[in-house]
Amino acid sequence: MDIFSGLLQGFAIAFTPMNLLFAFIGAVLGTAVGVLPGLGPAATIALLLPATYSISSPVTAIILMAGIFYGSMYGGSTTSILLNLPGEAASVVTCIDGYKMAQQGRAGAALGIAAIGSFVAGTVGIVGMTFFAPAIAGFALSFGPPEKFSLAVVGLLLAVTLSGASIVKGLIMMATGLLLANVGLDPISGKTRFAFGVTELNSGFDFVTLAMGVFGLGEIFYGLEQTMKGELVTTKVGQVWPTMKDWVASRMAILRGTLIGFFIGVIPGGGAVISSLVSYAVEKRVAKDPSRFGHGAIEGVAGPESANNAASSSSFIPLLTLGIPGNASIAMIFAALLIKGVTPGPFLIQEHPEIFWGVIASMYIGNVMLLVLNLPLVGLWAQLVRVPFAIMAPVIILFTAIGSYSVQGQVFDIYSLVGFGLFGYALRKLKIEAGPLVLAFVLGPMVESAMRQSLLMSGGSFAVFVTRPISATLIGLFVALAIGQAGMALWKRRRATTGNSNRT
Amino acid sequence: MKRLAASLTAILAVAAFSATAMAADYPTKPVQAVVPMAAGGSTDLLARAVEKYWAKYSKQPMVIVNKPGGGGVVGTEGVVRSKPDGYTLYIGYGSGHDVVMPTLQKMPYDPQKDLVAVSRVSIHSVVILAGANAPYNNIKELIAYAKKEGKPITTAVSVKAGAVDLALTAFGKAAGVNIVTVPFSGGAEATTALAGGHLMIGGGHPSEVIPHIKAGRFKALAVALPERDPSMPNVPTLKEQGVNVGTWGSIKGLAAPAGTPKEVVAQIDATIKKICDDPEFKKTMADLNQPILYQNSEDFAKFIKQATADYAALIKELNIKID
Repeated sequence: MDIFSGLLQGFAIAFTPMNLLFAFIGAVLGTAVGVLPGLGPAATIALLLPATYSISSPVTAIILMAGIFYGSMYGGSTTSILLNLPGEAASVVTCIDGYKMAQQGRAGAALGIAAIGSFVAGTVGIVGMTFFAPAIAGFALSFGPPEKFSLAVVGLLLAVTLSGASIVKGLIMMATGLLLANVGLDPISGKTRFAFGVTELNSGFDFVTLAMGVFGLGEIFYGLEQTMKGELVTTKVGQVWPTMKDWVASRMAILRGTLIGFFIGVIPGGGAVISSLVSYAVEKRVAKDPSRFGHGAIEGVAGPESANNAASSSSFIPLLTLGIPGNASIAMIFAALLIKGVTPGPFLIQEHPEIFWGVIASMYIGNVMLLVLNLPLVGLWAQLVRVPFAIMAPVIILFTAIGSYSVQGQVFDIYSLVGFGLFGYALRKLKIEAGPLVLAFVLGPMVESAMRQSLLMSGGSFAVFVTRPISATLIGLFVALAIGQAGMALWKRRRATTGNSNRT
Repeated sequence: MKRLAASLTAILAVAAFSATAMAADYPTKPVQAVVPMAAGGSTDLLARAVEKYWAKYSKQPMVIVNKPGGGGVVGTEGVVRSKPDGYTLYIGYGSGHDVVMPTLQKMPYDPQKDLVAVSRVSIHSVVILAGANAPYNNIKELIAYAKKEGKPITTAVSVKAGAVDLALTAFGKAAGVNIVTVPFSGGAEATTALAGGHLMIGGGHPSEVIPHIKAGRFKALAVALPERDPSMPNVPTLKEQGVNVGTWGSIKGLAAPAGTPKEVVAQIDATIKKICDDPEFKKTMADLNQPILYQNSEDFAKFIKQATADYAALIKELNIKID
């Protein structure tokens, strides 16, 4: 049929030596960018944009840029697992169990399962895109401000549950994250808030700086006081590959993560982050023993890593079928195509079938390349944990400083990086999980603008959140989750007190 | 004393000589052009198009640097504070934060005194849109619909107090229609929400909305310029449809820090003029749905002054405040 002949044509284009070469360069660059803290795919694509003008064929240019984008999703998990350093918001969740696994000497297993999960999710995502792109695109458009608000609120709730044992600590972190997100321009009125006359704060704090400070630098400051441990993480490298047992445990998590990522990733803005959160929460809930989560559960790595990769594939759908860029990296690809005289959107498949199918075919190939590229690297990365702290710590500090400076070219961001590092250190000392803070920081602006936009639309009536079917379903889910969570906490507390009274 | 005077004269002479020498063989190194908006937006696209053809007419390449944030103020302030030697330029001069924002809030610099206009490249007009199956096809029908239903007309705009917001608010006031503008974070997000059918009408720049109009997702009701927009000549203006509102949209040009030598400004302006006359550049800009409306530095400076005054009068008339 049409799809098959299109795909065949696409493979014919993607398999030309030139396009294969550029898909490979994209995959390599993407992996590197994902691994290097701070340097994100959007910044890299922006830097390479001028170079793409000299690439004569638009297909080749977009194959390169797409490779960088989904390649970075593969690489992003590496620093999260090895160094507790999330490169982007969608990898924050991976830190929780991934880093624990690395500390237990299971870095190889975590990295391996992340690579395999990413491959499966990426490929399934592209298959889904091949067959259902137009249908899914309509679903993406049905998310207006009220739906986005309800989705982000569910995301916030899930973020709080990441805090592990203490819900109160999770709530404190969420509130702090929301407050930090308030710094900068008010998204609706345009007035500057909490900037205290500092021009650099007019645009608010930068996510990459916050995440690298609170997680990465905080970890290093904490490491400084552990007397002469020698290594950053552990001496044990252990099994480099995932065992059969790991594979069995993660199989379903990868599939569930893929489905969650594919659907939620389509929604423009924040799709990938929320999908990784939802996947983690689902895995924790279906697990036979949820208490393993937060202490190195492999499903906690497999699920979210699959989800964010499936989301990166499906985020191409709104671009290719509607001409709507859903995130910063896709927006750069959008710009590159426009400069090349190609308008992404509903006519793309008719006017430029070679681009539409060429890109899709190249994504199948690119995912295989990434797997082949990344699996052997797993062994190498896993050795990284043995590098002495005295060498590793300065290197990380240097890279994070360069990374945070590179985002906006502001020295101020390096100061805030150090400030967030000290804050992260304090959190470690107080045994508070920083995940909810960072995620609330990402979701906060989405909650705020979506709510205020919804209320403007409805003339101030809150009914808008429960009269629209998708939004009402999400709010219902939120209420059920909140009640469930509160019930569970109460039950645990009662059990704890009865346990105490038994002892006395 | 004499010695001091002599050495001062010598220094001045050298300085003057180097200034002329600098202008004569400008540029001797790559020229940095700051775009104070996010990469991928309409200003960025224009800058990338200029960058591409700049290499054809200049000895040195142009390097685009995106410095988004603070509604454009952060990146522009960076240009204002940099050395006025022609190696740091600003692309996007005439945007909302140059001609609208100064009337509404305190600025860390004066967009007219601290910058020197180099050349105008384009104007992004404001188009009033509706979903393809909306029950109105032009402004008259929209007004009639609003009066009949008596409901507020929810309107998607890119940002608060931006060119689109002002044009739509002004239209509401002039036509006696209750327009409720809902600001988003940028044009792409606003058009996406309108495409999803979540709002009744919306506004946007041609570069953002023409692809959607071609896709049959939107219909254009009017252009809020004093004259028709060359990139969509079939769409009548508001004035033609009986509503006396015309704004300047969002102006896109180049500027340099105040104090940049006149010769250097003239040379950059000449380069931009050549780019604007290049048939391939014209084709690229047509693909981007951005009309080329070149003006030289002198006319452009006057135009910016006029636009700022007009916007100030409009803001006063509409009683818009940021609180």
